[in-house]
Amino acid sequence: MKSGFFALVLVLLLAGCESSPPQALVIYSGRSQALVEPLVERFKAQTGLPVEVRFGRDAELLAALQEEGAQSPADLFWANTTGALGAASNANLLVALPDSILEKPASFQPSSGLWAPATVRFRVLAYNTEALTEDDLPASVLDLPQMETLRGRIGWTPTYSSFQDFVTALRLLEGEEAARAWLEGLQALEPKAYPSNTPMIQALAAGEIDVALTNHYYVLRLTQGAAEGEAPPVALYHFAPGDVGNLALVTGAGVLATSDNTEAALRFLSFLLSEQAQAFAATEVYEYPVVSGVAVPSYLLSMPEALALSPQFDFERLRELDATLNLMREVGLL
Amino acid sequence: MNRLLSFDLRTAAFFLLPALLVLAGVLVPLAYLLIRAFEADAELLRTLVLRRRNAVLLGNTLLLAAGVLALGTALAFPLAWLTTRTRLRGRRVLAVVGVLPLAVPGYVMAYALLGATGGNGLLAAVAGLTLPRPGGYTGALLALGLTLYPYLFLNLRAALLGLDASVEEAARALGYTNRQVFLRVILPQLRPAFLAGGLLIGLHVLGDFGVVSLMRYETFSYALYLQYAAAFDRVYAAWLALMLLALTGALLVLEARLLRGRRFHRAGAGGTRQARAVSMGGWTVPAYAFAALLSLAAVGLPVGTALFWMMRDAGAAAGWTALAGALGASVTASVPAAVLAGALALPLAYRSVRRPSPAARVLERVAYLGYATPPLAFALAFIFFTLRTAPVLYQTLALLVIAYALHFLAEAIGPVRSALYQASPRLEEAARALGRKPLQAFFTATFPLLRRGLLVSIAFVFLSAMKELPITFLLSPIGFETLALGVWGAANEALFGRAAPYALLIMLFSAAFVGLLLAERDELRAG
Repeated sequence: MKSGFFALVLVLLLAGCESSPPQALVIYSGRSQALVEPLVERFKAQTGLPVEVRFGRDAELLAALQEEGAQSPADLFWANTTGALGAASNANLLVALPDSILEKPASFQPSSGLWAPATVRFRVLAYNTEALTEDDLPASVLDLPQMETLRGRIGWTPTYSSFQDFVTALRLLEGEEAARAWLEGLQALEPKAYPSNTPMIQALAAGEIDVALTNHYYVLRLTQGAAEGEAPPVALYHFAPGDVGNLALVTGAGVLATSDNTEAALRFLSFLLSEQAQAFAATEVYEYPVVSGVAVPSYLLSMPEALALSPQFDFERLRELDATLNLMREVGLL
Repeated sequence: MNRLLSFDLRTAAFFLLPALLVLAGVLVPLAYLLIRAFEADAELLRTLVLRRRNAVLLGNTLLLAAGVLALGTALAFPLAWLTTRTRLRGRRVLAVVGVLPLAVPGYVMAYALLGATGGNGLLAAVAGLTLPRPGGYTGALLALGLTLYPYLFLNLRAALLGLDASVEEAARALGYTNRQVFLRVILPQLRPAFLAGGLLIGLHVLGDFGVVSLMRYETFSYALYLQYAAAFDRVYAAWLALMLLALTGALLVLEARLLRGRRFHRAGAGGTRQARAVSMGGWTVPAYAFAALLSLAAVGLPVGTALFWMMRDAGAAAGWTALAGALGASVTASVPAAVLAGALALPLAYRSVRRPSPAARVLERVAYLGYATPPLAFALAFIFFTLRTAPVLYQTLALLVIAYALHFLAEAIGPVRSALYQASPRLEEAARALGRKPLQAFFTATFPLLRRGLLVSIAFVFLSAMKELPITFLLSPIGFETLALGVWGAANEALFGRAAPYALLIMLFSAAFVGLLLAERDELRAG
């Protein structure tokens, strides 16, 4: 009886061993399933190519890719953050992309040519419209630490990648000491730290905090997603044009050096930069397209307006994350 | 006597195979962490490891573990007592209240607590009630306490059911008051159950990431995850994981010391008798109020919040095929993992209870180290070693099942061990004296007494595997979409309406599974 039991377990275990069809395009996606799956389904329907997606957080997938090494089954890394793409570039995980891909985006191409931008979002200050008006808010994010009135009412996400991308830009544009002073100044205002933007925006809507340093689409998702009359009193605030507080953040994808299916990976990248995929990002995810000529919904700023908000900056430099992390550790945030 | 101790080859294999698997399951992650840890640059390491922040994290972690243990005991003990020792009506329903929260993933509870409170929360929308949003220590304490107390409840309930009333009666005959009987006779016998449940809760708190991050309370495991997530730093993360394991080691030594040299099975012959149930009298109403409040908070809140989300964003839900697929995937991985863990736990617990040698004790403790290894590091280690030793296993269901079983093995050991403590070895000795071979004697004499404990073991692992995230992310076959992944993917993007059906399915099916087990156990009692 007992050997029968072990045989059963063995059979159950071996049943799982059948491997997937070898020609499938394998995508490691740091973007969540809800945003990725509709696009993957369309790509499969249009090209007839099999696609398999492993979902995870950027960091987990990067760690997995590095542990897998040369044996990784992945073809394409589709990341949620520029920082993760930078880390992948630094770790030599990505291969150079052909011009046919690189020439498609109208802006935000990385100088390395190792990955292609897919969508853009902007850093913003979200605020509670019942507690504050735009006049109460500073013209530059650099002035935020002087806002004594906001003591204890500010939310931020010091451990979240997009916030760290912002600090990297702050450091590179304004200098190390200015960045340190900003972090310490804001800390003195006793902000509330959240692990990511979603719980922070929920806290903003719930009145736990009155302003939040976040990305624009979290706010739109909250306000546009709500039923008529039920939208919480939360709105977007942009700093003055060119302010680092409006930094554009790029999501993107790159082909992995371990890929044995480069052709399919490149077709998928092309698809991501096609008009329909870009329009999906704008209408369903509230992000900005990176190719020109794609219409954006009325509740988004127009592309030129949005682009004018962000400071001039080589986005490839966001991979200089180490110094940012050291700075944040020194001031006790990590 | 010599004949009774001798092992034939099959018996040896029966113990050796699980032992080797367990050792591998623990040594692999440990070796991995050491390999990564020693890649560190000495200077950077000194500033990272020996800094004040780590002392703060240590303090936070211990404070939270102590709080959750206290809250868990305050909830579990009265409930276990009410369901086993009183004539209260609806004891079975109360027992369900004690077990059901196991079906609620901690992160769902945290989302529910946050979603129900505050100005635009569920309670405000439904009842016009604005409660302050829990956060920090209080928030983490509530979410963890409400989801983890069943580990103590089940252990205590099993122990109370297994106690032999004749010992209490003897004490009473000797003139002990009820209070003395409770303090000197009952409580000491509950010690292994307390320790087994408490250890699981403590280890859960040490390893939790979902709840503490949502509640913004910084513990070791939170900091550890941040090193992977924020810094993409596998080296410092490895050091934090090793510090966490050292803490676990201390906890294990403590538990072992508290348990040493005690014997809990009955000494005499004859069957165990159930204790006389007491009537609650004036305490009936408070007892019901306690149970009602607890079930509202631990079960009503997460289920209600999920239903609320689902109705609010009715159009957002994924299709039935996606949901059914995710349910299928979750069950396909969790059931074999639970059975495998039970099969591994049985010989380990048997050795450590019946033939306590240093080796057996170490082996059993080692399983707890595997449990305390942060799941993310555990999964990375399995990637690292699988690809170097058996690449064909990588990204197969088999690997996922093995990883679940080895990671959650510790949960399976406690209930079997408690059952073993209460099963007298005399029966098995008698069976052997009558000429049965050791294994035969074990399966005919002792095994039937362990079924109750073994089923609880399997249930524990099943429930944990259903909720697990990082191991599933990294080790499942590509395209394998479990319910837990569905909840996480959607909730993370604030698509709560889409997350809700996945969360409800996890809770529903876990609850159904637990219900089946409870029914089975009650039948055993009657029969």
